[in-house]
Amino acid sequence: MPLLELRDVRAGYGDAVVLDGISLEVPEQGSLAVLGRNGAGKSTLLLTLMGFTRLKRGRIFFKGRDVSALAPHRRAQLGIAWVAQEREIFPSLSAEENLTVAAHPGPWNLERVFRLFPRLAERRANMGNQLSGGEQQMLAIARALMTNPGLLLLDEPFEGLAPVIVDELAGALERLDGMALILVEQHTELALSLTEDAVVLERGAIVHRARSGEFAHDAPTLERLVGLKIA
Amino acid sequence: MLGSLAGVLFDGLAYGMLLFLLSVGLSVTLGMMNFVNLAHCSFAMVGGYVSVSLMNRFGWPFLATLPMAFLAAASVSVLLERGLYRRLYRASDLDQCLLTIGIVFVSIAAYAWLYGTEQQAVEGFPPYLRGSLQFMGINLAAYRLFLVLCGFLVTAILVASLEYTRFGAKVRAAVDNQRMARGLGIDVDRTFMLTFALGGGLAGLGGSLAIEMVGLDPGFALAYLVYVLIVVSVGGLGSIGGSFAAAIVLGISDMAGKYYVPWLGAFLIYLVMVGLLMWRPQGLFGKR
Repeated sequence: MPLLELRDVRAGYGDAVVLDGISLEVPEQGSLAVLGRNGAGKSTLLLTLMGFTRLKRGRIFFKGRDVSALAPHRRAQLGIAWVAQEREIFPSLSAEENLTVAAHPGPWNLERVFRLFPRLAERRANMGNQLSGGEQQMLAIARALMTNPGLLLLDEPFEGLAPVIVDELAGALERLDGMALILVEQHTELALSLTEDAVVLERGAIVHRARSGEFAHDAPTLERLVGLKIA
Repeated sequence: MLGSLAGVLFDGLAYGMLLFLLSVGLSVTLGMMNFVNLAHCSFAMVGGYVSVSLMNRFGWPFLATLPMAFLAAASVSVLLERGLYRRLYRASDLDQCLLTIGIVFVSIAAYAWLYGTEQQAVEGFPPYLRGSLQFMGINLAAYRLFLVLCGFLVTAILVASLEYTRFGAKVRAAVDNQRMARGLGIDVDRTFMLTFALGGGLAGLGGSLAIEMVGLDPGFALAYLVYVLIVVSVGGLGSIGGSFAAAIVLGISDMAGKYYVPWLGAFLIYLVMVGLLMWRPQGLFGKR
């Protein structure tokens, strides 16, 4: 049984349809890169998994359970953790409160996320709006981990960050010990190096599926589908 | 003269504490949840009448009626929140005002019908709260001293529960960013419902404590709405410390005005409000 399964999902906002006919699976401990140009529906896919869009057709199963009709907070409690594109740190909470406010007991605790991101330990008393962009991204990922999820959804976690911070974050993602994740990313090369499987979205549909390792070397297809400049 | 100054300060402090207890719940719901609840003093009136009924009809001791006043007002506010208010969380301020001022008029009519329009006379008010003590030559009314203690106690409990507990962090997170809070598994609807219950319950407590000092009749819901709104806007939205400071400043200036400049009388409180808001338009401790 896969950890996550989407069957023929059609979803959008109000009457608008953004995703159409999406079917995919993520196994336990699996990792999936979601690639595609701007506006292809990548963020909408993550929002649909969380229940923030209108599901018009299809089913979503998580841990074998149909979660299609569940409210977002119920899905989060079942173990889907979402790291939003804009990070969305709570400004009225300290860094430490951001981490503990929605925490769930499990292997990920304050001590362990501080080991993963030592900078956060230094900034634990700062308010959420006093952190740099990179620190906010670390905090957003750490906050999601504190809910001890079964599946981590990351929406462009490296966007707008300095290369040295990107390296630090990518290194941290490699040390998540097989936590299942879905990574939406514009840095195609990096995304493929962090995942096992990949899909490419175009106008709300999956147009290509590949193993990440093989896809990274398939320059013609990458260039055609993602419009990529690979070094 | 000095003795009377201290007496005025003390009476003003006690009156300020009463204003604080009446308004702090509104500061929480208006400041943190951005809901304009003009019916806040109707919740206070629920608490007041519950206390009166329990004492006069069932012979309950006054102190025992206080938790019941809190619970009754909290329950009424939860019912209203579930039934009416939550539909208007995203509505305009005007829509929220129209709904809640309507509830004020309904509550005034309902209490006039049930209890009559006259001031409620309370029987069996405990004698130990009726007397007074001498302290350094100042005459301190026992009940006012009791109000001051209640004010400090409620402030301590509220600050502790909103600033230092996980529940408080959830409330602040839900106010900051509802979608992200839901996305992390926080039950935002439940959090807001409990916050609303807390705000309404505190109003009920305030309404019950107000009986002995300012009396209770169906006009209470409208008469004290003005003071409560002044306290919240002068204190700064969502700031408990701000409401506390504003209530004390306004309570003392009101008492001092009535005592020292009687021709200005009850108007002084408005002058103080205008002055403070011109100095700090966001309120004393306001963030927004």
